[in-house]
Amino acid sequence: MSQSIKLEVVTPERPVFSAEVAEVQFPTAARGYYGILPGHTPLMTEVGDGLLYYVQDGQKHWLTVFGGFAEVGPDRVTILARESETVEMIDLERAEASRQRALKLLKEAQTEHDLATAQAKLDASLIRLQAAGHPAGHGF
Amino acid sequence: MAGLQDIRRRIRSVKNTQQVTKAMKMISAVKLRKSQERLVALRPYAGKMMDVVRRVVGRIGGDAEIQPGSAAQAFLAPREEKRIRVVLVASDKGLCGGFNANVLKAATAFVEQTSSEIVHLDVVGKRAAEWARKRKLNAAREYLNVPITGFQHVVTEISEGAAAQYHAGEIDALYVIYNYFNSPVAQTPTVFKVFPMELDRRAEGRDAIEVSHLLEPDPNAVLETLLPRFVETELLRNLLESSASEHGARMAAMDKASNNAGEMIAKLTLTMNKIRQASITNQIIEIVSGANA
Repeated sequence: MSQSIKLEVVTPERPVFSAEVAEVQFPTAARGYYGILPGHTPLMTEVGDGLLYYVQDGQKHWLTVFGGFAEVGPDRVTILARESETVEMIDLERAEASRQRALKLLKEAQTEHDLATAQAKLDASLIRLQAAGHPAGHGF
Repeated sequence: MAGLQDIRRRIRSVKNTQQVTKAMKMISAVKLRKSQERLVALRPYAGKMMDVVRRVVGRIGGDAEIQPGSAAQAFLAPREEKRIRVVLVASDKGLCGGFNANVLKAATAFVEQTSSEIVHLDVVGKRAAEWARKRKLNAAREYLNVPITGFQHVVTEISEGAAAQYHAGEIDALYVIYNYFNSPVAQTPTVFKVFPMELDRRAEGRDAIEVSHLLEPDPNAVLETLLPRFVETELLRNLLESSASEHGARMAAMDKASNNAGEMIAKLTLTMNKIRQASITNQIIEIVSGANA
């Protein structure tokens, strides 16, 4: 059996990541996180918003993922994300500005819908900040 | 023999034309780059999506609990194709070589050989709309002058409409006829069936073990969201392929036109110089013979 997993993360805008890794964990839309090791049974699920990590050469690395699908096979994990970034791609200033804006919107929100959009924005910016604030190897 | 003045006038006119074709070539090059960038970025995603759908859906046996009438059924249980919906993608503007002619020829061939009834036709681009009118095919919807940023909207409208029609039993399949982008100078007119998918149910993929995928949290929920996404992605890719092909074809056509104009200018200049020299020689002979007299 293969000792590594080929992790591929692609979005409609660009291929984000592709490499052999030892372990992957990603957020799902419905059931918390899935941790995948080589030899996993074939699986297909919806991806949620949050942080994905993979282990390469004994080190943890982080990616953000926002929605999409994951397909798992014994020696591969394919993530078809709506959006995804590596830590290097994240614009810290933009994420911080977006967080401030979201907080403001959250206070001013009148309707249920406004509230939900503001909350989603806040969550997205927090995920990005968290990813950038936890450089490879540190973990939570 | 044409006079000197006439030839000068012609050279000027050809030069003007060459300027226009050169400018058009450069504009097309810029537009090509834009379309091509988006296409190249989307292709890996679309390709992976196709792989995943083929693997996952192809392995779901008859034993899977797929709700009848669900989106998943469109892929799993193709019906006899009696009525189909077709999307024809061409361009709004001409001057792009064989781009429109080729895809319309493919469309004509498809319409003539298909045994199914085309109950719904969408056309993208003015050339496609004109073709449909000429052939007395009533296009249900004409998408004209859609910018690249408007593709997503078109795609959503078509995919949602087609899915609803499939559920209602109004159509049995969705086809797209478009130009596939091989390279900036090569396009292939392509007839593509978006759904139901033609699945190869025999051993597919590289996996040795033939196991159905677990679909979490539940198969219907996953397929219900995955399949519309797949259709949208494929349609978007088709539109981008066509857009990149169009600009590539126009760039090539305009490059050729500029070169031809250059050749013509060279020929005309040669003729002009000959005439000028002949007249100078004539004048010298006249002067010499006048002095001799």
